[in-house]
Amino acid sequence: MTQVNVYRPDDFDDFWDSTLKQVAKVPLRPSFEYVEERSTDDVAVYDVHYDSWAGVRISGWYAVPRAAGPHPALMLVPGYISEPVIPRSWAKKGYAAFAVAPRGKLRSNQPYNPGYPGLLVDNIVDPNTYGYRGFYVDAVRAVDAVLTRPEVDPARVGLHGSSQGGALTITTAALMPDVVTCGAAGAPYLCGFMESARLTHSYPYEEINEYLRDHPDHEQRVAQSVGYYDGINFAPNIEAPMLVYIGLEDDVCPPETGFAVHDAMKCEKELLTYERCGHDAGNHWAMEKVEAFLAGHLGVAQ
Amino acid sequence: MSAFEGYWDAVDAELAQLPPQPVRDLVPRRCTADFTGYEVRLTSLGPYRIFGYLSVPTGPGPYPAVLTTPRYGSVNNPPHYNDRLRYVTLVIAHRGQRTADSSYAAAYPGLLTDGIADPDRYVYRGIVADCLRAAEYLTALPEVDTSRVAVAGDDLAVLTAARRPLFAALQVAGAPLFRGADQPDADYPAAEFGDHLRAHPQDADAVRRTLALFDPERHAPAVTAAARVEIPGEGGPLSALAEALDAQRYAPTHHGQADNDAADAWLAGRLGAAAMSRFSRMAG
Repeated sequence: MTQVNVYRPDDFDDFWDSTLKQVAKVPLRPSFEYVEERSTDDVAVYDVHYDSWAGVRISGWYAVPRAAGPHPALMLVPGYISEPVIPRSWAKKGYAAFAVAPRGKLRSNQPYNPGYPGLLVDNIVDPNTYGYRGFYVDAVRAVDAVLTRPEVDPARVGLHGSSQGGALTITTAALMPDVVTCGAAGAPYLCGFMESARLTHSYPYEEINEYLRDHPDHEQRVAQSVGYYDGINFAPNIEAPMLVYIGLEDDVCPPETGFAVHDAMKCEKELLTYERCGHDAGNHWAMEKVEAFLAGHLGVAQ
Repeated sequence: MSAFEGYWDAVDAELAQLPPQPVRDLVPRRCTADFTGYEVRLTSLGPYRIFGYLSVPTGPGPYPAVLTTPRYGSVNNPPHYNDRLRYVTLVIAHRGQRTADSSYAAAYPGLLTDGIADPDRYVYRGIVADCLRAAEYLTALPEVDTSRVAVAGDDLAVLTAARRPLFAALQVAGAPLFRGADQPDADYPAAEFGDHLRAHPQDADAVRRTLALFDPERHAPAVTAAARVEIPGEGGPLSALAEALDAQRYAPTHHGQADNDAADAWLAGRLGAAAMSRFSRMAG
């Protein structure tokens, strides 16, 4: 199997420490507006907004059991082209569930809107202005926003997502080691960027191949820049238990990169692999294990 | 003439009055020695400009072609590399989706019930027209072998094949969009119907009447294409749809790449092309 070698900048940790310190100066200004039409007898739904990197106002959906808390927080981080779904089904299971729409997604796209395709290569040669800098921070600030809720237990914060959601599970767990309790990452994207683009012609990584068609002399600059954003470089900083699940024939996020990010984790971890599965990452079988993993670590009865 | 026929004949008549005024722009980064990528814009009902990703294989042609109808969501990926090698491919963005969101931007959740109480104002009247316009555009391209054209997608693909009998093959996958109101416990997007009816219980009959116009099973008898339907589990609306289409049924194994490969092989076989898996360690 192909070895995935990722360039790790010497100042990787400093870059992200500095990024988080900069955004800490931006007041969060969280707002939670109750949405009657999307709420049910047992779940209350809120339209959420907060400020993030460069002052961009980020949106999300918060769904919480009407039963008295405290509830564990479950952060649901989205895939590349999908919009966050109101997480009512997770709230019914007992979580204070927050589905965030990082910058560029529909309700968070003012003034930043790189488009799809587009986000993956937006300023990709410059780590300081790369679109994913604010995007990763938006997921961190989502945790900050949900922790302003009095019904949320700050000692129980889980992360879950697949594909780009898998990537954000990894980056957020690494950036908030003192806050995150556990994470379940399916088919993690944004791991081994350059090797992935060599291994597949599926989107989103195909955006890098297209970019390099336009700018064939940028390959080294791109490789160095994305080193600051690679999940494999974040993985050693994770302290919370992690569950990773992958399809062994994933054409979107090559399985080689899923093995590599799991290998790079130093935390308590488990890897589930599924034969003949693609970007579904064995979802049909894995979800039962994901739910048990989250429930076990976050103290929710199944 | 039934109300059903009258409704859809009116859509066809309105669309026929609007010249598509196509514009086709070359996109160098989506071009290789094997294919040429374009972005296209067309006028649909409204009038409204819609968007599409078009790709044409290199060579004298004509080539088999595949129209992919839009998914439920704000974004559609451009055609896959493997498909661009074999087919003229067109993936459209319907009104409201990104790249076709001027001047109407769809909300998620919200699109599925936008205007649903009045069939003439239901947003999907225009969205189906967008798909029909795309079918007309694709099948009129000189690079296309009109005897080998397929349409792939969810309910929208069925309605497109029914209203435009231009297709040799119809591939249906995904949850049935317009039968979601029958599933009170469904998650989103089908949950949008329940949300709407909780807020507007007086709309119940009107919603039922509107959705009946879009019911793919009702459109199925007009489909002339050979069809394949993915049916997860026994029974349900997809099983009934497959029966109405006299379709080949495929029970997903839930091994996603195996299921993708099976779908690819069926379509390639119907269009006289070679099957290709998207997972290959020969990529480069």
